Amino acid sequence: MSLEWQAAWQALVHHPLFGVGITLGVYQLAIAGYERTRWVFLQPVLVSMLAVIGILLACGLTFVEYRDSVAPLTLFLGPATVALAVPLFLNLRRIRQLFWPTLITLLIAGVFATVMGVGLAWAFGAEQIMLMSMAPKSVTSPIAMLVASQIGGIAALAAVFVMITGVIGAIVGPSLLKRCGIHHQAALGMALGLTAHAVGTARALQESEECGAFAALAMSLMGVFTAVLLPLAILLWL
Amino acid sequence: MLLRGLSWLVLCQLLGTVINVLLLPMLPGPIIGMLLLFAFLLLHGEVGESLHLASSSLLKYLPLLLVPPAVGVMAYAADIAADFWAVVGALLLSLLVSVLFAGWLMQKLIDRQQRREAP
Repeated sequence: MSLEWQAAWQALVHHPLFGVGITLGVYQLAIAGYERTRWVFLQPVLVSMLAVIGILLACGLTFVEYRDSVAPLTLFLGPATVALAVPLFLNLRRIRQLFWPTLITLLIAGVFATVMGVGLAWAFGAEQIMLMSMAPKSVTSPIAMLVASQIGGIAALAAVFVMITGVIGAIVGPSLLKRCGIHHQAALGMALGLTAHAVGTARALQESEECGAFAALAMSLMGVFTAVLLPLAILLWL
Repeated sequence: MLLRGLSWLVLCQLLGTVINVLLLPMLPGPIIGMLLLFAFLLLHGEVGESLHLASSSLLKYLPLLLVPPAVGVMAYAADIAADFWAVVGALLLSLLVSVLFAGWLMQKLIDRQQRREAP
């Protein structure tokens, strides 16, 4: 009796659940690896992304087929974005006494970070579509991806830029800030959350409770402000 | 419990989508949904247990939900390679400067507020 290995393999890799299966499996391995080593370079999203791309290439699958297969997962990105309102609200209540410094820093430094990133990339000669994918680099990935596709960039590229920014910010941020004489926990937290979003916030939580709370606040406010103001700014400017 | 909170989140997003089409084409539906939920929380003054449960469970798996869109990079490998150094250079330089600027500004503002409160 000869087994139909080829047919079985084709049925496996083209099954609608194959994409979901490899994503779930790879993600859990990435989480386990990150928790075991606590190494900042092993960001679970980054590792999972590379592993999934590797598997897809090895099996000869296209991104379009993968995307259709994992549509049930991506469907939950919307409600997850809505859910960000809850930590934003909880953080806002905690730090009323530094309301004005927080808001002013957010507006000025937030605009500065965005303009500087896009301006430098433009000066270095990057394409328009790259610039638009880079503009939301300092906010948490779900918002960055939504905003990027809204203003004519590529959501996937935005996710990569966000991840690079976050990881580098979390690695060099705290020591750079301290070396330059910035020791106030709220200021450290603001700087990390504002520029390095979720990864920066995770790093800030290791510094202190206060630092983490400000980072979380800066991250959520920066996300909301970018989501609301960046599409408007682009609309008015172009 | 979880389902009730989840229903609220879905409802907010659906409302956001309606508002996006009718009034605010430049803001994505989920973002409008988030602002709606935030406004509701401000009015209500506290986070209900079901909403807290649903949002924390969903946000715990946010990195997982982000994997599929991130894999989309493979479709743009050529574009990235063309602008690789411009983009990476701009990311690095702007990150270093803005981290310092944000920290410095916040510290200055805090110092000023404290001086004013305790002269």
